[in-house]
Amino acid sequence: MLARNASGLYWMGRYLERARHGCRLLRDQLATMEDRPVEQIADSWRRLYLAAGRSPVGGHIESTGDEEDFMAADAYTLADDLTFARHNPDSIRNCVAAARENARQIRNVIGSDMWSCLNVTHLDLRGLEIQAIWTAQPGDFFARAEDNIRAFWGIAESAMYRDGGWHFLVLGRFVERAQLLGALVEAHIAVFPSRKRDSEWEWRSLLAVCEAHFAYRHLYPLEHRPDRIIDFLVADARLAHSLRHSLLMIAESLKGVSGSQARQAEVARRVRRMAGWIDGDWPRRDPNDDEAARAALARLRQSCRQLHEDIATAFFSIEIQDQDGRT
Amino acid sequence: MPGGRQLDGSGEQASARSRLFANYEVRPEFYDEMFDDDGAPRAHCRKLYETLNRMPAEDIAAMQELAERSFLHQGITFAVYGEEGAQERIIPIDFLPRLIAAAEWDFIERGLKQRLKALNLFLADVYGPGRILSDGVAPVDLVRGCPQYRIEMRGVEAPHGVYVALCGTDLVRTNEGFKVLEDNLRVPSGVSYMLANRRALKGSLRGVFRRHHVRGIGHYGQLLRKTLEELAPHGVSDPCIVLLTPGVHNAAFYEHMFLAQEMGVELVQGSDLVVHKGFVHMRTTAGLKRVDVIYRRIDDDFIDPLAFRADSQIGAPGLFYAYRLGNVTLANAPGTGVADDKSVYAYVPEMIRYYLGEEPLLANVETHLCRDPEALAFTLDNLDKLVVKMVGESGGYGMLVGPHATPEERNDYARELRKNPSNFIAQPTLDLSVSPCLSEGGAAPRHVDLRPFVLRGRKTRLAPGAFCRVALTPGSLVVNSSQGGGGKDLWVLSE
Repeated sequence: MLARNASGLYWMGRYLERARHGCRLLRDQLATMEDRPVEQIADSWRRLYLAAGRSPVGGHIESTGDEEDFMAADAYTLADDLTFARHNPDSIRNCVAAARENARQIRNVIGSDMWSCLNVTHLDLRGLEIQAIWTAQPGDFFARAEDNIRAFWGIAESAMYRDGGWHFLVLGRFVERAQLLGALVEAHIAVFPSRKRDSEWEWRSLLAVCEAHFAYRHLYPLEHRPDRIIDFLVADARLAHSLRHSLLMIAESLKGVSGSQARQAEVARRVRRMAGWIDGDWPRRDPNDDEAARAALARLRQSCRQLHEDIATAFFSIEIQDQDGRT
Repeated sequence: MPGGRQLDGSGEQASARSRLFANYEVRPEFYDEMFDDDGAPRAHCRKLYETLNRMPAEDIAAMQELAERSFLHQGITFAVYGEEGAQERIIPIDFLPRLIAAAEWDFIERGLKQRLKALNLFLADVYGPGRILSDGVAPVDLVRGCPQYRIEMRGVEAPHGVYVALCGTDLVRTNEGFKVLEDNLRVPSGVSYMLANRRALKGSLRGVFRRHHVRGIGHYGQLLRKTLEELAPHGVSDPCIVLLTPGVHNAAFYEHMFLAQEMGVELVQGSDLVVHKGFVHMRTTAGLKRVDVIYRRIDDDFIDPLAFRADSQIGAPGLFYAYRLGNVTLANAPGTGVADDKSVYAYVPEMIRYYLGEEPLLANVETHLCRDPEALAFTLDNLDKLVVKMVGESGGYGMLVGPHATPEERNDYARELRKNPSNFIAQPTLDLSVSPCLSEGGAAPRHVDLRPFVLRGRKTRLAPGAFCRVALTPGSLVVNSSQGGGGKDLWVLSE
């Protein structure tokens, strides 16, 4: 398939996953505001910004002031920053707009139903501002936005021909998911150390953001053990939002698009190495050593970033090659 | 208004009139596509008129709104340059279709095919032996001095003699019949709106559509693809076809995308193409893939920075070289603009007589070439009555509609005209036909034209439909989409 189309589909997958993840995080974050102490709310915001690799509006998050002030002013500003801010390239609105812009350029390869679904989602978000959603039920807004993105994936799932186009879309989705998951778990451990007592709520929240709470409770009904939750999110290939599952899907997608070129084969090898490391080395880690876990997650994230570079080089930058393979 | 006749009122038509047409005014100086001079619906429009009569006006307004919303959701857009926020503007659709009787269409079809055949022969001639010039039928300086004449094309034979594979001819109707306003032979646009308008109306007026025996146009993409396949370089049996677009910021990008989808071909940009050893390739995830036919939607100037404008960022270097070698087909060929130049246009009837030995079926609009001193004097004396156009412009840009211009605008324009008369032509202000359109107070007459699309491969093909353009502003004669015009569906009846 045309390299530019492949790149457009890959980035669509990435941006939509980023937007969906943002919706999920903010929905969870707003739920904390119902009944959690203000320190926990502030920590939760810190986790969110740390995972995003972004400084909060104002430079830091303070929870020492008046509680009502914090709830009303800071949360409003922070949610606006992550949802609608035009200067934040990763705000939900910007991510949807970027996905839609990619889709607009390659509409001829995605079909009208997928395009219309994404276009309507974009048009709905385009005219909104934070005050419009804040006065009513902001949680519902994020749930709706997430549902719209899921609807897009539903249409893609049922309608797309399983050729390169589909595989690049899925590839983008899971490369993004792997990066986001790694960053979130790493940030979570940094803000909520696993040795901390009475921390069940924080870990439940992490599971909820990763759509893993139901599955976890089914497997481990009685306890929320931090080390077990981290293992679950990183290494359990059967969990759709785990890092290991993302690598599985990346490998599957690459199988669908790779040809005989050496650079493409190298991408697949990198994924196998990452998966092998999670399967072999991760279970041997010390469950009480948060620092080691964070360092391991940082390495995995770095590998994900390199994976993205490799994909771009192997599939999207096609040059004339001479007989020796030189460009 | 002088000569105006309200449809509403006493008389035999009164009992059947709905609120939709209550204030509709028929003016005999303009041919009305739906009503005769007495205000009665024309024979082929009677069924539609009666159906619309039975529909509550508010239902029709609701359907119109629905159609517009569906355009927005589907992203059926057009950009107007120079306006803030102009990107992705919806092209306004008018919900009331315009009907063309079967016999009328048959005449149009024959006239358009005749015209396109002659135009292709003209292009083969002026880039070849130049017989029409040496025989003095068309002036040498007019043709070879035309900015659209491409010296680079001298001696280049287009595959199968087809220079213009796709033509969008603007037709107008006056009380004297159909006339050709201009031929668009470079990168004519609008066909996607023809198809989108049809889809929107077909969905909303299902029963009505069926009862009218409207000829289908949904196969246009297949016709276009078939045409392009026929133009593949010699020896290529299963050609790889692509559509070359300037990119997402182009005004007609929606159309490029739409046509690529309809034909099932790749939509490429210049940066997706690479010319290697005289062949054109596109960059795919599996490496380079040879391209045989390019339906290009980029102007000549920009298709190849090595052959034409060196500052082009949207073309593919070496493309014209590959074309000259016969390794790739460009549709339309470079240099076709010389045949749709507004001055050369005046000679098309002569071309038809010269090459085909036939009388033109479709008439031209009377055209004064201001390069001729007498024509210049006439134009300057009658600026308040004429439409004056710059020969190198299109899309309604650089045009003066004399009767609607202020004295200052006419004076400014006259100054430009005197500076470079060869750059201008003048035509009488045409009494474009009107067709009922939805307005705030029900149906109202608005001026319309139509742009059918003719395809020429080894055969000449025509989908029975057209992009019908509407001047949405009351009294305006400017129908161009780039000047705020809209569109409506055109129904060619099969009986």
